[in-house]
Amino acid sequence: MDLHFRAFSFVDRITSLEDKVRIRGRYAIPAGLSAFSSSLAAEAVGQLAAWAAMAACDFRRRPIAGIGGAVEYLSSPQPGQELELSADLDGMDDDAVAYDGMASVDGVPVVRLKNFVGPMVPVEEYDDPERVRDRFALLCRAGAAPGGFAGLPSFQVICAQDSSAQSRCATVQVPASADFFADHFPRRPVFPGSLLMQVNLGLAAEWAAQLPSPTAGGRWQLRAVYDVKLRAFIRPGDFLQTELRLLDQSDQSAMVLVETRNAKRLVGGARVEFVPEE
Amino acid sequence: MLNHEITKEEIMAIYPKVAAIVSEALGRDLAEIKPDASLVADLGAESIDFLDIVFRLERAFKVKIPRGKLVEDARGTLSESEFESGGVVSEAGLARLKAFLSEVPEERLKPPLNVSEIPRLLTTETFCKIVIRQQRAAAARST
Repeated sequence: MDLHFRAFSFVDRITSLEDKVRIRGRYAIPAGLSAFSSSLAAEAVGQLAAWAAMAACDFRRRPIAGIGGAVEYLSSPQPGQELELSADLDGMDDDAVAYDGMASVDGVPVVRLKNFVGPMVPVEEYDDPERVRDRFALLCRAGAAPGGFAGLPSFQVICAQDSSAQSRCATVQVPASADFFADHFPRRPVFPGSLLMQVNLGLAAEWAAQLPSPTAGGRWQLRAVYDVKLRAFIRPGDFLQTELRLLDQSDQSAMVLVETRNAKRLVGGARVEFVPEE
Repeated sequence: MLNHEITKEEIMAIYPKVAAIVSEALGRDLAEIKPDASLVADLGAESIDFLDIVFRLERAFKVKIPRGKLVEDARGTLSESEFESGGVVSEAGLARLKAFLSEVPEERLKPPLNVSEIPRLLTTETFCKIVIRQQRAAAARST
């Protein structure tokens, strides 16, 4: 089976593109999945913005994950739901594109992306420009057949034993092969930044569950991620070290710094905010 | 427009805001951010950080900062062949850089200097000047 535009593609219809900068689209989350993370909903918004950016430069260049000012987690997407996607480009040239965006279900916001910046790279280094162009035309007309995404493999994550009240470490083994690499990207497989975030948010949430409760019997829930920055590509088979540090904790919020290194080089980081569960 | 036309007062008027942005983008304490500290050599900035800083400055100061324009601006009236040869900044180019990047300590502007190394010279004060130039350009366009 050709996994291109299936294994890690989260836009199956572009419903409007105005002035090359305001794009709207949809993605039907396959009903047969066991789960669909908020990180993947954020990925869907980023992919929608990428379509607008690529179309604006006639598919010469494409954005890759780079900087995210904030991702707000507002509700949980569920298999079988349809994501309504929107992205507004706020400046673009051959070096970078800046955008904000949102994913909603039936008008209820799921994730909101603010102040995202994606470095632009040559499309041909990552994909076949003609196939990308054809896909865009399909998404703008009839739309793609839904259901291409079949889920993700489980990632091997091992938490270190020597964690403390203030910090925690874990190792993450990026799979050497996985279906999503055929789609992200066909000519240059890269571990998606959204999956790194998903893994790291899972680690942060596990740790938050062990922090003193904000209220009697209450729990911490993920509110937002700030200052996301992806500094280098992560390749299939890479072995990552993630460190979580508690930056601040009060009755109202807990802020955790998450940093991931690949052979000692910092490849990604973000601040994760938890608030008392409502 | 050369640097010496930008006054110290103008720079200091926006420096606290620029320093705060550099501090946030690099995840460094504000106290570590000094006007003449090289963002690359002293603060460990990478290319993605420059992109981050530029977009934060654009939002904070409501200006547009064209990426890659710094080298073009630094070249001034010199042609590309006068400014550099084979990727190495010429003597005339170096003189121009010393005037344009007057905030950069002289010892960092020694030959041979590759054009690709120019971003390594940038300091927080350099970004203040970039913002001021863009503010001036915007003001000139609107009059």
